[in-house]
Amino acid sequence: MIEQYNLLEVEKLSLGFGGGNGLLRSQPAMILRDVSFTIGQGEIIGLVGESGSGKSTIGKAVLKLLKAQEGRIRFDGVDISDLSEHDMRPLRREMQIVFQDPYSSLDPRQTVRGILSDALDIHRLHTGTAREPRLVELLDMVGLRREFLDRYPHEFSGGQRQRIGIARAMSVEPRLIVADEPVSALDVSIQAQVINLIARLRDQTGVSVLFISHDLSVVRFISDRIIVLYLGKIMEVGPADLVHHAPLHPYSKALVSAEPRLDQKSSRIRLTGDIPSPLKPPSGCVFRTRCPFALPACAEGVPELREVAPGRSKACIRDDIDMETAA
Amino acid sequence: MTITSASANPSSAFRFPLPRIHPRLRLPLAIVAIVLVAPFAVPPLLGIDPNAMSVLERFAGPSLAHPLGLDEFGRDRLARVLIGAQASLRVAVISALISCTIGSLIGLFGAYFRGLAGFLSTKTADVVLCFPPILLALLVVTLMGPGTTTLIWVLSIIYFPAFARIVYLEASRVSQLDYVVAAKALGARPRRVMFRTMLPNISGPIIVQLSLTAAAAIVTESGLSYLGLGVVPPDPSWGQMIRGARAYMERDPLGIIIPCVAISLTIYSVNLLTDRLRDVLDPKGLSGGIPILSPRRPKVQAAPQSATLEADTVLRIDHLDVATNTNGTPIKLIEDVNLRVRRGRCTALVGESGSGKSLTASSVMGLLPRGVNVTAGDIMLRSHNGETIQVTTLSGEDLEAIRGRDAAMIFQEPMTALNPVYRVGDQLIEAAKIHRSVSSAQAREEGIEFLKRVGVNDPVRRFDSFPHMLSGGLRQRVMIAMALSMQPGLLLADEPTTALDVTVQAEIIDLLIALKNSAGAPGILFISHDLGVVAQLADEIAVMYAGRVVEQGPAATVLGNARHPYTRALLQSMPAAHEELHASRSDTLPSIGGTPPLPHERPAGCAFRDRCPHAVSVCAEVRPDLTSVDGPDHLAACHLTRGSAV
Amino acid sequence: MLHSAISRLASALSMLFVVATLVFAIQVVIPGDPAELLLSSAGSTPTPENIAALRVEMGLDRPLLQQYVEFLWGAVRLDFGNSLIDNSSIGQTIATRLPRTLELIAVAMSIAVAVAVPFGTHAALRAGGRLDTAGSGVSALFAAVPVFVIGTLLILLFAQTLKLTPAGGYADFGSAPIQHLSNLVLPAITVAMSIFPIIFRMTRSSVLDSLSNEWVRTALAKGLPRRAVVRRHVLRNALGPVVTVIGLQLGILLGSTVLVEFVFNWPGLSGYLVTAVEQRDYPTVRAIILVVAAIFIFINLLIELLQMKLDPRVQL
Repeated sequence: MIEQYNLLEVEKLSLGFGGGNGLLRSQPAMILRDVSFTIGQGEIIGLVGESGSGKSTIGKAVLKLLKAQEGRIRFDGVDISDLSEHDMRPLRREMQIVFQDPYSSLDPRQTVRGILSDALDIHRLHTGTAREPRLVELLDMVGLRREFLDRYPHEFSGGQRQRIGIARAMSVEPRLIVADEPVSALDVSIQAQVINLIARLRDQTGVSVLFISHDLSVVRFISDRIIVLYLGKIMEVGPADLVHHAPLHPYSKALVSAEPRLDQKSSRIRLTGDIPSPLKPPSGCVFRTRCPFALPACAEGVPELREVAPGRSKACIRDDIDMETAA
Repeated sequence: MTITSASANPSSAFRFPLPRIHPRLRLPLAIVAIVLVAPFAVPPLLGIDPNAMSVLERFAGPSLAHPLGLDEFGRDRLARVLIGAQASLRVAVISALISCTIGSLIGLFGAYFRGLAGFLSTKTADVVLCFPPILLALLVVTLMGPGTTTLIWVLSIIYFPAFARIVYLEASRVSQLDYVVAAKALGARPRRVMFRTMLPNISGPIIVQLSLTAAAAIVTESGLSYLGLGVVPPDPSWGQMIRGARAYMERDPLGIIIPCVAISLTIYSVNLLTDRLRDVLDPKGLSGGIPILSPRRPKVQAAPQSATLEADTVLRIDHLDVATNTNGTPIKLIEDVNLRVRRGRCTALVGESGSGKSLTASSVMGLLPRGVNVTAGDIMLRSHNGETIQVTTLSGEDLEAIRGRDAAMIFQEPMTALNPVYRVGDQLIEAAKIHRSVSSAQAREEGIEFLKRVGVNDPVRRFDSFPHMLSGGLRQRVMIAMALSMQPGLLLADEPTTALDVTVQAEIIDLLIALKNSAGAPGILFISHDLGVVAQLADEIAVMYAGRVVEQGPAATVLGNARHPYTRALLQSMPAAHEELHASRSDTLPSIGGTPPLPHERPAGCAFRDRCPHAVSVCAEVRPDLTSVDGPDHLAACHLTRGSAV
Repeated sequence: MLHSAISRLASALSMLFVVATLVFAIQVVIPGDPAELLLSSAGSTPTPENIAALRVEMGLDRPLLQQYVEFLWGAVRLDFGNSLIDNSSIGQTIATRLPRTLELIAVAMSIAVAVAVPFGTHAALRAGGRLDTAGSGVSALFAAVPVFVIGTLLILLFAQTLKLTPAGGYADFGSAPIQHLSNLVLPAITVAMSIFPIIFRMTRSSVLDSLSNEWVRTALAKGLPRRAVVRRHVLRNALGPVVTVIGLQLGILLGSTVLVEFVFNWPGLSGYLVTAVEQRDYPTVRAIILVVAAIFIFINLLIELLQMKLDPRVQL
């Protein structure tokens, strides 16, 4: 059951890059447009989208590692949108990040002990004699042996490095973790281990997770709710199983049916063409250039994200598409 | 930690990283140390005044009292050359350190804070770099007058921009890396991020630049002194000694040669250290990273019995072994692989990273990385005129003839597989123009036709585009068009959809399925880690683990009735296979514990046994062979499949 | 394309402006009165009258802004005023001496490129081979010997001992072409030797880098003959960094030929500069440095435009 208390509330977040400097000012590329969502206490939200959808940007913007141009971010009821870097510092302990690439996410010049101690030092946690037991506890939490403390990152496999990255994030006892494609760089046989670990940590510590991935089947398993993102806009939000089994938005349906599965050949929506550049997004609905159901009206207004069933929303003007027979 | 456990665990020896000196650095470091210390240590031992003149003995040759003889004023040359070194080294080392400190700070701050700080730090460097170094030095000398202090300032100004630029670039690169972002996300203050996280990770290039600068400073100092604008007489310096000796060059060549040799040896030793440092810090430049091209492969003696391929087969691999021999001991990367690809059918090779699946494809093309070789087995390929070719016996030139025409290949990264400086169309028809000598106009027409066939919209415009103008999906279509352009009998596809988005991946898979069903379709060897993708394309599947095929057979059988525990585990660990499970109900996904063994750590017996839930004692002793299970086409390499099912 | 070319031109011009300002500003920033410094370099203590007179002559008595504007306006018209020493026109002297320096640089660079680029390419294609070892050895040797030492040793060998060439000097090409060329040989070779290691190493590492690009594998996989792969997919892509380093060296040479011209008595710009520095003829030094920096910026601009031609991805 989803908790009622909203730990994170994101409201109409917009973010763009570039725009050039000096003489040659150009149109900024809008990566996110009017993105609103919430994450409940202890909830895992899956954020799915393809390259260019802005899913990683959302993760960094929520942590204020990127500055959003517009919109509000409230963490635990406190508006953090306009906090300076200095004022954010104590809050950083509450919200952490896990990265995709297990090779660049750990400082190659530090041992595991150094990496984890750094995190604790910054917030002056578990100092003195309390340090060693805490380090061991952290490794234990992610399923690594205590002998690993004095090894360097290059001595570990990708899956083990990812566990160290998770231990670093958990070391400061955060209440929110942004997991940015945490398993996509791992081999299939290792992926499941890390997914299980994240789910277990949520159960044990009650941490909320923003789980970013391009892989719908992974997100379906781990998330309570799923947000489907396309070209910086939310297309659909809903409970994980429902979005996966009975998507409401044509793009969600296309994503589901593009998923490589052992038992394919059910109804399929095949998209054609490429994701448009964020520099020149289509007018109206951003998905209309690839949408098999697009109408002339889709080019006109930007469709609102509206609730169509309890807990389910979509940003599509059409309610008359029967997804099952459509393909 | 006790001593015994420390010695039992070799990696704990690295616990406190004392500056262990790399073997390749020892000699140059020792030489540089001597060069640095000798000028200060030796003169007191000699006890000779470098400025004491003995006019009667001017130009005296080497003797016991004066090993290098006396100069034009009868001064001891050895003493002078050593004292001269003091001035040169002092100026060089001090100015290198000053410029390093200033430049590094500017670069680091610029890269961390970006914005105005970044702009100013790069532009300051750019402005100073507009002046050729010696000219800048001369400008300052004009205004401040010659002398040692001036020199140190001059050299610091000349050399700090290079540091600022290098540190700025390196720090900018590092600041994008996740571990730096992680430090910021943890709430580390800028000072901590810059000096504790970023600086240690860019220390390599800074040290290289420092030693480069020290050498350059010696050169510039001596040059200015040579012009009479550096160290002022009577203090001896090398440049000045050469200047002084010039007038007596004919009479006394030794006088000029001694300081010349001293300067050159000093710089040579510092340069040697720099070069070695670079090699050690960036091993890529030394040996690795030079794949494929070079040296020409000699012709191998043809195998005695030249087997022929079955009529419907375009590729057969028999008992293939591939090994690398980098450190003297050969390490097998692939062992005893048998595969067959039929015309118009798709054989999939499935495995995780390091399983050897890509190497198998590369050996078919004769494109193995340098140092990796086929050590046993046969690769038989159908040529375009129907003959059977033994690929392993071909020379370099014969391989060129079959590549593209009999076997074509597409790769994982469409972003880097095309050369950015040529239009895609030109790359598409490049090989056809050389192999078939068709006219440019005709090749262009054919190329556009192929683009159309692989579903490229607006093929005429795309033909004239540069690769960076196309999306990943389009580039992969171009790669496929390129591969098909010479109508090969075999298409090797090495993870062709892995780098693509799922919706684009689905399009490419559809394209490959359509290709397979078209008339005159090539046989496809499809390499992938993704069983879901493979399920849609493959007619036959071979699963590789740790360099060996552990299970193979018809696709439906392998996927539907997998017999090897590894294949089963792979299928089970796909989240898509468990739609009934959900994390919120405290379900866990079935997973395989542990990681695949590295090639040099593969255990005896079955390589999967350490991760296998069913392993029994025989698995550790005897390596299971591929034997048929269920039917003659379905093979598995597991002791447990014999007799009873797992 | 045109747009970015224009923007680069604009940025080069603004850079030139900054450099001119800086050259002017140094005299203001440096402690002490330039006129007093100039006069006291002779050793005697100058009288206040003498200093005042020189200040008027140098224009130092005028407001700073006026001096600055006059300096800039003069620079634009290539009028740098007169030498403090012999009152000759600085612009005119630069005009006669600069071409000699440029000739030396052009000949030396041609020799260096003609040798180092093919050498470096072959060394990279057979990395670790005998040619590679030889090339690395030679370039390590040349890199260790300062340019004036190379020059001095060449004089010692070819002029003093073997008596094949003159030890130095200059003859006008118009009146004595043979003499001119024989005077040019040693300095040109000296400069060429000093830049050989840089070009050799850059070529070698650039070709090596280029070899490990994935499109080289693509080219091989489609059956291109080895020679075509090397020419079209390795060398073509390796060109960029080599061109850049050649351009950079051309700029640096404008400064470092000072030493070579001094060694060989080649009456180029540098000899003029050294004399001016020794005599503290600040206006002359300033003018020469400004001209050289302008050439340097111009070369960089050309290189950038060339890079845009070489790589279609490079824009802005």
